[in-house]
Amino acid sequence: MEKTTHSCFLLIILLIRMVPSLTATVNYTDPTLEPVVTENSVIRQKIIDSQFKCYERMNRAPPYRKKGLFCNRTWDGWLCWDDTPAGRITAQNCPDYFPDFDPTERASKYCDETGNWFRHPESNRTWSNYTLCNSFTSEKLKMAFILYYMAIVGHALSITSLLISLAIFFYFKSLSCQRITLHKNLFFSYVLNSVFTIAHLIAVVPNPGLVKRDPASCKVLQFFHQYMLGCNYFWMLCEGIYLHTLIVVAVFAEEQRLHWYYLLGWGFPLVPASIHAAARAKYFNDNCWMSVDTYLLYIVHGPVMAALLVNFFFLLNIVRVLVTKLRDTHRAESNMYMKAVRATLILVPLLGIQFVIIPWRPENRLAGEIYDYIMHILMHYQGLLVATIFCFFNGEVQGALKRQWTQYKTQWGQRRREHCSTRSTSYTATSITEVPVYLYHHDSNNEQLNGRYVDDSELVALKSGETSA
Amino acid sequence: LSAHHFIAATACHEAEYGRQIRERCLRPFKLSMEGIGQRLWCDWDETMGTYGELTNCTAAVAENLACYWPNRLVDEFFVAVHSHYFRNCSPSGRALHDPPNSVLCPFILVPVLVTLLMTALVVWRSKRSEGIV
Repeated sequence: MEKTTHSCFLLIILLIRMVPSLTATVNYTDPTLEPVVTENSVIRQKIIDSQFKCYERMNRAPPYRKKGLFCNRTWDGWLCWDDTPAGRITAQNCPDYFPDFDPTERASKYCDETGNWFRHPESNRTWSNYTLCNSFTSEKLKMAFILYYMAIVGHALSITSLLISLAIFFYFKSLSCQRITLHKNLFFSYVLNSVFTIAHLIAVVPNPGLVKRDPASCKVLQFFHQYMLGCNYFWMLCEGIYLHTLIVVAVFAEEQRLHWYYLLGWGFPLVPASIHAAARAKYFNDNCWMSVDTYLLYIVHGPVMAALLVNFFFLLNIVRVLVTKLRDTHRAESNMYMKAVRATLILVPLLGIQFVIIPWRPENRLAGEIYDYIMHILMHYQGLLVATIFCFFNGEVQGALKRQWTQYKTQWGQRRREHCSTRSTSYTATSITEVPVYLYHHDSNNEQLNGRYVDDSELVALKSGETSA
Repeated sequence: LSAHHFIAATACHEAEYGRQIRERCLRPFKLSMEGIGQRLWCDWDETMGTYGELTNCTAAVAENLACYWPNRLVDEFFVAVHSHYFRNCSPSGRALHDPPNSVLCPFILVPVLVTLLMTALVVWRSKRSEGIV
């Protein structure tokens, strides 16, 4: 995709390739039983490949037309260098032949004023500067490991918090309404996305043998990974459309049919994922489809960005309507809806910002590291963020949890006191008021009623708490 | 150190190097390529081995004559080889690269447009269901 996802993945791939001792030995599971020098012949092959491409390019490219002295195009043994004007330093990305060469670093070559390539003073041979390619690799390796484990921890935390939120939503029937149904689907898609990402990070990324074998299963995994990514963002879009329809289009009316939302959230992401799989298989069929160096990834990321943009505009429109039109007429409801929208309005930019700032990785080393950490947090801790904002910070959920907690406390207290025989009669009186509050309000699905009865039921809960105290 | 420079400066006769690589490397390469057949010259799987041997040969000759490898003569030599044997091959055919823009752009734009259409459809349908109620 963009350079930062590129560099993120390259860091991860770099760390895998830094474990050469494990992969350079004989592979007993491989039926062809490749010899120990496999690594070397693979490297050699890559270099010959590059050499061939270089001479092809040198043959076909038009001759140098600008005025003045220049250095002739050349193959220096590792990389291809074009015609360069005299007195200029030209640079390109380091090759990836060797495990300790970092392809995000730059190799350079100096063409001196006389129109000859720079010769190293000690050996008097033309020399290109590859020193930057392997000078920072150990630090980058350490950081790559840290980012890798951060990603896994992020997704694990996300799965945990999302499953807890789903449990809360399913347990407390009083919370059910259409918006919560959409939340449940959103959380479920986040859980699946995290599962597939962890599977990819643990099974495929540190396993160069698997990548080399390139089984169909790792491409299928990649397909589902892209599909779940689409699902995540399209369910966010569904939330936005639902709120928009509820507030702007048909103001505070009753239920909508959710079939179209299910179609958009679960069904539609199959389309970009399938197109990406077909295009990838035909035009860029690398091993396990791991490369991020292709614009074909935009087949999935393009619709995702479009969905984010549309969502953002819908939310702005909602805020506009709430602030201007409803302020005078439906004050109470508009306040409540403002609270509902606030959560979504915080989340959409947070989820989308990674796509906006991804092209601008700072050049400075320290700033680049900080940028990498922030991007990784934004990308891999999203599930945790969504669960927190939509569930744990939700007033109704907190109210329901508090009620349940006080109920357990009084039940626990009651059970203890039941052992004392002298006070049994007064407890039958209190036990009547101990009936769970939410049973009275079981059927209400409307967001509006939800808002109102929360206050009522909290009063009842307080009363029952007082009598048993 | 200076002795080494002296040897390097005097030992690498460019003319001699040119002659030797044409005699000792180009000839077996020619024979091998004729054996493969002109039809298959653009098939990298077939020519890969021979090409690699040619490269190794030029490097070995350079080592014998104490020249550094690669050098200007090697460049000229290989450019000549390419213009004779690989002129009609599709460029960088064995690298993984994106399809041309005329193919890539529809692949990207069509899902984006379909996304926008689908969104509009869902908004329209949820609006309509309000009307029914």
